[in-house]
This record gives sequence, structure tokens and C-alpha cells, in this order.
Amino acid sequence: MSAKSISISPITRISGLLSVKIVLDNGMITDASASSTMFRGFEWAMQNRHVTDAVYMTQRVCGICSLAHGAVSSYLLDELYDNEISETAQLLRNIMFAADFLQNHLRHFYVFSIPDFVQMPQTMPFHCQDLEDLRLTPEQTQHIIPHFAEAIKIAQKAHEILTIFGGKAPHQHSFLHGGVAVAPTVDKLTRALSLLQEIHSFINQCLIPDTQLISEVYKDYFHIGVTPRRFLSFGLFRFGRKNQKTLWRSGVLDEANRITVPDLSLIQEDVDTSWFDQKTSEGQQIISPSPRKPGAYTWVKTVKYAGKCFQVGPLARMIMTGRYAGGTSTMDRIVARSQETLLLTELMRDWLTQIQPTDTPPLTQNSVLVKRHASSPIDAMRGALLHSVRVEDERVAEYNIITPTVWNFSARDAFGNRSPIENALIGTHIPQDSLVNATVGRIIRSFDPCISCATHLIDARGVRLAEFIL
Amino acid sequence: MDKETFSTFCRQNRSGDTHRITETVLPEVSKFLLHAGQHKLPVIWLETDDSGDNNIAFMNSTYPYAGQIFEDMIDLIYSNTFMAAQGDDALRILFSAAEQYKGVFTLVVEGAIPTKDNGLYCVIAQTQLHRITALEAVQWLGSLAKYVVAVGTCACFGGPTSAEPNITSSVGVSAVLARDVIHVSGCPINPDWFVGTLAHLLMYGIPELDKLGRPTLFYENTVHRHCQRRSYFDRQDYAKHLGDKECMFSLGCMGPRTHADCPYRQWINYVNWPVRANTPCIGCTTPNFPDGSSPFFTPIPQKGHSRDPQASPGGKEHPS
Repeated sequence: MSAKSISISPITRISGLLSVKIVLDNGMITDASASSTMFRGFEWAMQNRHVTDAVYMTQRVCGICSLAHGAVSSYLLDELYDNEISETAQLLRNIMFAADFLQNHLRHFYVFSIPDFVQMPQTMPFHCQDLEDLRLTPEQTQHIIPHFAEAIKIAQKAHEILTIFGGKAPHQHSFLHGGVAVAPTVDKLTRALSLLQEIHSFINQCLIPDTQLISEVYKDYFHIGVTPRRFLSFGLFRFGRKNQKTLWRSGVLDEANRITVPDLSLIQEDVDTSWFDQKTSEGQQIISPSPRKPGAYTWVKTVKYAGKCFQVGPLARMIMTGRYAGGTSTMDRIVARSQETLLLTELMRDWLTQIQPTDTPPLTQNSVLVKRHASSPIDAMRGALLHSVRVEDERVAEYNIITPTVWNFSARDAFGNRSPIENALIGTHIPQDSLVNATVGRIIRSFDPCISCATHLIDARGVRLAEFIL
Repeated sequence: MDKETFSTFCRQNRSGDTHRITETVLPEVSKFLLHAGQHKLPVIWLETDDSGDNNIAFMNSTYPYAGQIFEDMIDLIYSNTFMAAQGDDALRILFSAAEQYKGVFTLVVEGAIPTKDNGLYCVIAQTQLHRITALEAVQWLGSLAKYVVAVGTCACFGGPTSAEPNITSSVGVSAVLARDVIHVSGCPINPDWFVGTLAHLLMYGIPELDKLGRPTLFYENTVHRHCQRRSYFDRQDYAKHLGDKECMFSLGCMGPRTHADCPYRQWINYVNWPVRANTPCIGCTTPNFPDGSSPFFTPIPQKGHSRDPQASPGGKEHPS
């Protein structure tokens, strides 16, 4: 049997548009290219806007993790305006942030991932489902199927919590620089707690046991889609008057199992195999889109830390904070995400009960810029997210975004360094051709890719990242 | 089931356990409707250049919930977000549905359409030889569909994807199609606007549309007209800070120029909306969003063109 190239396009049940090509040689994936096929150029659109527009504008980068972009922009503006954030505001911000995580993780598991493992009713939109390797018994299947529709309802309730405080979702309005524009009144807190209780029950009674079942029935996926053990997290849930504390630690975990503090100056980007041209003009890097560039295959750039590609996401956070002791496989990513979901409901309950109810919105915005540039790293649902800005006369001179999916779905560089997704695919054993779609789809979705997010970055080196060390 | 049997069924059950009527007769009624040509609405949903927020908004629908909509209202034939099939299986479904449901299906487009470089900035799928651009797919399917629904402000008018300098030359769906397009604008949409429009298409055909192609059911009035803070505006009692309880006009509110029913419909199970959250409406349903609303926190009379501080105050007017 000789090597053959197989294209899987489109990869459905993700956020955004993705195609994958693999080379299959004697039942083994020997090469893989993950091609993100949409580009919007958001950083260009940010230029010259008033800098305080960033919170609402950057949320439009992504529909499924919009609040994360709004949050990072708010932290960025807090630094530029030297805002003081009250404890109440921080609790509220984190409640809203965690609620969006719940929404994301629940939808990812049930709407996107479950049809990879469970035989769905053969009605639309599940028609022509790949039935090749579905292993649950009819009883197990019948048990899980109703959870699909239920999870959509429960995820809606997570967005309802967000909206009680945030005004709408996606693209909330009240999580702003300076705090939160909505007061945590007793009725709002009570309503949120009640919704959270329903979400918590579902997670305990459905998500956790369903994850357990899938991970037992498909336990070979603890050995499929394995990546190098290099993880990066910017930490999660800011506290403190200057956003200076992070509840879940940031870290860079290398293959020697050492955890160091991320140093943003070690982040490097390339466009060798991305659809961008790079020129240097008067000492400045100028990057422009080039959809016909020979040898290029994706709109995602290459991002590396200290010259190497790193995996980001719930698994990275769970390992970094000592909550997960497993490996780096497809199933490890799925299990870690579900475990994180449960943890988040517990944190939210604590925060909702800690807040002192008040009628006054916890928001104080300074109006004078004290800095002209800032970088703000935090973890979003899918992992490390970085916004950097340079400001001139309160207008954005440069706005740079590196999203989590850029880390996980980087284009390979000129030296053959590969992203976690391509590393996860390469080396995978696929005994029959009929298993290609199922296997590749499961590996890809375990990263929860968000392509709408991933294809919006320009060069971050223009901004003085080095000054920001977590 | 013939008429006589049906009649017997009803008589038998009239004095007996009535729930059997629903168990046995209702499925027959459904079957009858099916034979009379009353199907669910067949939908092909293309995701193009946007943030994916509109499919998330769709999943936030309550009464009916998204699961019920799949079950009872629409046949979602193709959707990058929701379909179980992937790769060639998915593309086969798309190609065969375009023929099988020609003239019958509703094309839903979520996202703007890049036109620069033949649309290569948004490729919905690629074969070994060809990249199928959003431009190509929308023009192809748009010519075969019974209805075309643009969902979200990117698909309607270009939206944030076409924000200046619009380096991908992105436009709304109607700009690349020589036919009527129903515009359900919003960034994102309120799910009721979209689900309500689909329900109207299914039961009564095309709803009444405003000059911009939006269903008047949802877009007839401005946000300003029904705003709970209208009395503050009328007394010129303006908010000084975000978080205040007065009128948000002073802080950039686009309510007077924005057609939408947010003040009374509200969002996510009808619990809140931006002005109630003590922040301005940013005009996300308008044709010039976001450029016409920028800077977001500057009052309408002083909203310059965001990218050109020298531009005359007042921003771009739009025909709403």
C-alpha cells in the first residue's frame, strides 16, 4: 500500500471554517496540514478607533468566546487608564467570565463532540452521520441522546446568568474597563444562583457521567492524538485592585516537566507557510494577506514560545494547576474540559454567595491615559489569549491579538516545527480507510478549535511585550 | 387511515381514556399534513466570514429551544456548525440537496462575503483541486433557493467584517445576489428575530419587510421609541457615567437611529438588554455598524467617522 493524500473538508461541528489534509501511509498518518480558510483582518479594523471601543469591537472577533475578548480588552484599558477595580466588580467579572466558559464547554461537548461518539437519531442535522466506529450499546445511546437537547437548554441558562449582569450575549455590554456597569442586586444574585443550581445538577448528573462513559468505551483515545508535553497558560480569573492576582496560575510547562512563569518577550510569530506576505520597510515589519502565496496553506500564523510550539486549553490549565495527572491525548483533552466545567460551577457558587448585594454598579472609569501601550494575557475557554495595544491620542495605533487556536493550530514553520494539532494527527494509526473521518474528526474537535478567532493576528513584535511578565 | 376508521377511533375514545387520541390520531394528522405537502422548512445554512455569534445566538433561543426547532420546525440539511456529517459526506449532502430541494429550500447565510481576490478570504470547503469560496457558494445556492435569509449584520450589510479599511472587500449577501434577501440584522441577532422569521416563512411566506429588507415584525420601531429611559431623554436628564440610571444618549446611545425591539423583547430568555445594563445601545442592527456607531461612547452628534478624526460630526447618516 502506498502513501495517499486525503482531504477532509469541511471539518464540521467547530466554530469557523477548517479543512485538513493528511497523508496516510500503510495505515499511519505521516503528514498533516490543518488549513483555516477564513480571514477577516480584525486588527486592521481596530486601527484608528477610539481605544475604549476595544471592549465591544474585539468581542466581534469571536461568537463563542466573545466575553473573553471583552475581558482582555477591559484589563488592557484598566492598565492604560490606571483604573482601580473593586472586589465586587472582580467577583462579578469572574462570574460572567465563568458563565461564558460553561456555555462554551457544554456546547462543545454535546453539540460538537457527542456526534463523534454516539449514534444520533437519523434526522436532520444528524443525517448521514458516520456510523463506522460508534461503540455505545443501544441502552447507553438512548440514555445520552436526550442530553443533547438538554445541554442546549442548560448552555442557554449559562448565557442567561451572563446576561442578567451583562445585558446581552454574545457580546455583552457591562464588563468594561473600570469594573461592571450593572449592580449585583439581591434579585439578580438569587436568580443567577438558581440558574447555576440547574446547570450544576446537569453537569453532575449528565456531563460528568457521560464523559466518564465515553472515556471508558473509547479508552484507546487516551493513546490517540498524543502531543508533545509542552503546555502554556496565561492563568485565569483576575483579582486585585489592579488585576494583578490570578486565581489559577499561569505557566509554561516544558518537556522536562518544569513550570516557569511566561515571559511574553519569548513569543515569536512567523508567516512562512501562512497566506501572508512579510516585508520590512523602514525597520518595521509589514504584513499583508496573500491568499495565493505558493507553499502556504492556512490563514493562521505560526506562534512559538522560546522557539517551540505549545498546547493551550483546559488540559493545559488543569495540568498546570495540579488538578489533572493524565497525558496529552484526545481523551485527556475531553476529560480535562469536563472536569474544569464542574470546577467552574463550584467557583461561581462561591463567588455569587461572597458578593455583598448593592444597588450601586461597581464601576469607576478614569478618563486620562497614563500609558500608551499595554499587553494583557489571560486564558480564554480554549487557552492562552493575548491582546496588545499601542495608543496615540486615545486612538488605536496598533492592536494585536493572539488567540488560543493560533497556538493549537499554528502553521508549521520553515524548520518543520509543528502545531499541537498537526503533531497530534501525525503518527496516528488508522487501520482502515473507513475510519479516517471518525479518527481525524475526534482528534481535531478535542482541541475545540475556533477558526473565527484564530485568523486575526498581526505581528506582535511591534508592541513592547517584553515589559509584561506575568 | 380512511375516514371511517378515523371516525370510529374518535367515537371509541370519546368516552374512554382520552390520551389515546393524541397517541393514535395526532400522528395520523401529521402524516396527512406531510402528504398534503406540509413539510418542515428545509434549510441550508452557510457560515461565511463572521464571528460565529449568530449560531450561538440561535442556540440561545427559548420557547422554542434549538432542539425543538430541529425537531418540529426546520430540516437543517447543511450547516457547518450543527451537521453530524463531515468532509466529503457533508459536501455530498450540500451538492445533492441543492438539486433535490431546488426552488424549495431556504438559504441562510451567516457572515459577510469577501469579494477581493475572487473571494479567497473565505472558503467554505476545499476539494483536492478547488477552493469553494463563500462568494461562489452563495451565488450558486442563492440562485436555487426559495428564500434567502441573511442572518446577522455581517451577512446583511457587511457588519464588523467590512469595517474600515475592509481589507477583504467584504459585503453583505444582497450585494452579490440579484434577488431579494430577507435581512435579519443584529450583532448578533436576537434568536426570536431569526426563529420568528423562519416560522413566518414556513407558515405564511415572506413577512412584511422595511426599506432595508428587515421584517417589520421586529424592526419597525427604533430602540429609542420604546426605551424605558425615554422619559429621561424627554427631560434631557442624561447619564454622566456608564452605570448611571439616566438616558444613555450622552454616552453614545444609538437608540434613536437603531431599529430593533430590544427594550421590550430583551435578550436571553428576555432578562436584560444593553441600556437596562446601564450602557448605550451601539446600533448593531444598523447598516453602518460598527463604523457608523463609532466611537461607541461618543454622543451621536459628535460621532465622527471613527477612522478619520477630521470627518464632519454626525457620522454617516443611513436611510433608516
